[in-house]
Amino acid sequence: MSRCTGRPRRWIAAGLVLAAACGERPVAELPAARLRPWVVATAVDLAGVNELVAPNVRFTAEVLDLLFLGLVEEQPDFAEHPPSFAPALAERWEVSADGRAMTFHLRADARWSDGHPVTARDVEFSLRAQRAAEVAWPYADSKRVVAALEVLDERTVRFLLEAPGPYRLVDVNDGHVLPAHAWGDIPFAEWRGAANRFRERLATSGPYRLAAWQPGLELELEPNPTYAGPGPAPDRSVIFRVTPDPAALVERLLAGEFDFADGLSPLDAERVTRAARLRLLASAARQYDCIAWNLRRPPFDDPEIRRALTLAIDRQQLVDALWRGRARVAAGPVPSDVWARDPELAPWPYAPAEARAILARRGFADRDGDGIVERQGRPFAFELTTNSTNRLRADAAVLIQEQLLRVGVRATPRLLEINTLTELNLAGEFDATLMGWGIDTTLDFRPYFHSHEAAEGWNFIGYASAEVDRALDDARAAPTALATREPLVRLQRLLHVEQPYTFLWEPPRLAAVRADIAGAEITPLSAFASLPRWRAPARP
Amino acid sequence: MTAFVARRVVAGLLLLWLVLTATFALLHLLPGGPGALSEDPRVPASQRLRVRAALGLDRPLAERYVRYLAATARGDWGISFARQRPVAELVAEAAPHTVTLAGAALGLEFLLGVPLGALAARRAGRALDHAVRALALALWSMPAFWLGLALLLALAVEWPLLPAGGIASPAAASWPVLARLGDALAHLALPALALGLPAAAATARFARAVLLESASEPFALAGRARGLRPTALFLRHTLRPAGAPLVELAGLSTAGLLSGSLTVEVVFSRPGLGRLAYDALESRDYPVLLAVTAAVAAAVVLAGLAADLAQAALDPRSRTRERHD
Repeated sequence: MSRCTGRPRRWIAAGLVLAAACGERPVAELPAARLRPWVVATAVDLAGVNELVAPNVRFTAEVLDLLFLGLVEEQPDFAEHPPSFAPALAERWEVSADGRAMTFHLRADARWSDGHPVTARDVEFSLRAQRAAEVAWPYADSKRVVAALEVLDERTVRFLLEAPGPYRLVDVNDGHVLPAHAWGDIPFAEWRGAANRFRERLATSGPYRLAAWQPGLELELEPNPTYAGPGPAPDRSVIFRVTPDPAALVERLLAGEFDFADGLSPLDAERVTRAARLRLLASAARQYDCIAWNLRRPPFDDPEIRRALTLAIDRQQLVDALWRGRARVAAGPVPSDVWARDPELAPWPYAPAEARAILARRGFADRDGDGIVERQGRPFAFELTTNSTNRLRADAAVLIQEQLLRVGVRATPRLLEINTLTELNLAGEFDATLMGWGIDTTLDFRPYFHSHEAAEGWNFIGYASAEVDRALDDARAAPTALATREPLVRLQRLLHVEQPYTFLWEPPRLAAVRADIAGAEITPLSAFASLPRWRAPARP
Repeated sequence: MTAFVARRVVAGLLLLWLVLTATFALLHLLPGGPGALSEDPRVPASQRLRVRAALGLDRPLAERYVRYLAATARGDWGISFARQRPVAELVAEAAPHTVTLAGAALGLEFLLGVPLGALAARRAGRALDHAVRALALALWSMPAFWLGLALLLALAVEWPLLPAGGIASPAAASWPVLARLGDALAHLALPALALGLPAAAATARFARAVLLESASEPFALAGRARGLRPTALFLRHTLRPAGAPLVELAGLSTAGLLSGSLTVEVVFSRPGLGRLAYDALESRDYPVLLAVTAAVAAAVVLAGLAADLAQAALDPRSRTRERHD
């Protein structure tokens, strides 16, 4: 389940508007000076250059953010308030008083990397492609709120919406603007086999363009000569070198082969902190790991039992032992650095004595003296499944097994291949599963906890609570993002009491960068957003 | 000989069909669907169904199987779910890297394994024999990925003598031909060692056993009785008869080296068939997995056929023996 992270939508920093002097400059007049490219390690290759048909993996999404712009850019400033948005291809936008129309004004200097201007036709083409049944973009549902798109002139588009809502700007902005002049004559029905044509005719609007791509080996992006902002222009190319083996990747990083690597484990992070030539970067990840209990199977259908299990698990010890203290103990589905987090919510404490007392009250006792409590002759024993490729979760399962044994509960860890785990979970064939979720900008927890999603959605634990349903529905119906706070706080408090999940930790995102590179940072939205701002130290 | 070849070709084709059918069935029995179907809870079930239809996964399994066999017979392996490119292109790009690696490892296996085995056989029961056998056992018991990581740490990180991964240096394209060749060989060295050394160890033990066996054959004893010198006796009456089983071993080794390349290519970041299969398995990219399996199975069948033919040429009795079997 680790791959089920929310899609980071936008990446760039606020207010970094560059002078647009290079907008008209033809490609041939680029300065010839070539600085040594940055070399970045990646465990996976780019899945494709067209996001509508390429699988949604984080690396691909974050690289495509460097190649293409959207209308606006989501900012990573969601700790205190809902995220703000900065201009991207649109220099400004207006929302009608009734919230049913959004008008975007494109930048006059916006150009594709082949020199063609970015126009309203590109926006219209992108929306048509996003909604095309033949293209089958997985996120097409976000565009159902758009009733119509009006092209007012070459640089102005108006989205007419079915209904107002708290995250309509997010929905309208979802997906990049694609080049109609380059890809428009490829029939939608052929898009799922047209990767070569997309690449051959690639025109980009972001700070980079594709220089070279040897599939499975490396990908080189070079500064886009027509890029006119809103962010700074990069001063050099960047090479992403595919290194699928995590152990080899870290060794090569420490040996000085890479300038940057993302997705480090806590153990790798420890080694990085000891390497003089590297600097550790850490950021929140807008994720949480948890144990999901199968509420269709007793005794997990009893909230008191679930609370007892939470009390019996020392989550701080897990964070200290597995994350070397770099993660935070989770208290609910809204991570602690997101604006909608209930400020009064604190994680349940580690209280094994209280857990034992609850279990005893619910009829569990160790009558045969084997160390495992029973009820009606049945020992309290279950399987704790998790994905086999996540070493940290596998270790956590073993530690949890040992902690639960102290209160007389036998958990047997079982490691499964990720696809198998997902299928068993969705089929409801599990007792408890250790997994992680990523959350996205909209903070819509309906898929996980609403009773309507229990039949065939992602609420595979079978959770059903009228009060939680009401809180989720209220959040979705709120007129503004800020107005979702109250139902979201209500939701968090209900989940805290009911514990359909035992919330374990909020993992950080860990990366390493060469210590002398200035301007490098990572955010929950992207590891690469700061790449155009990276600068090497001046040589004496 | 023609009938022998014909029988072998038919058997090879039958084996290929069986492998493809079994792979097709196993892949579709595996839990979970292609990664392209997206496991993001934000994607509603209705949209996932649309993606399934776009990938052709909404058709009955039997229909997909028949279409797949027909397309494979035409040489059309379809479009990759994960990369949206013709699978034949992906395989054609990756295959040379795997063939190069497996070829280098095979060369290493026999150039190192057979002389070591011969050395041990000639010094059977002495210190050198024990040393070779112990070394071979140690190398043989090392998994290729582990040996690969150890070699990488030692020879690319701790003492950076060889490149740690990839197939060429970034600037190699602009170098003279010889420099490019040297660079490619340098990049090949560590993965070939990781893959070839355990195989060489196994071959050394096999060669030793085969050579000792042929040394005790009546014709070898007769040669000794005729007063042949030890070197001539070894070359003519021991090594030469052992050629046929060693050729057969080469055919079998090819299969092992091709499958072993999977982990080695991951460790050394080589974009070969193993890496292609590894990525495709993670994302359940059925067309790519089926094509890689077909390509590897075909290579194994061909290698087996070549070994059989070579063995038949070296030892005509094997043809007759097969007919009687």
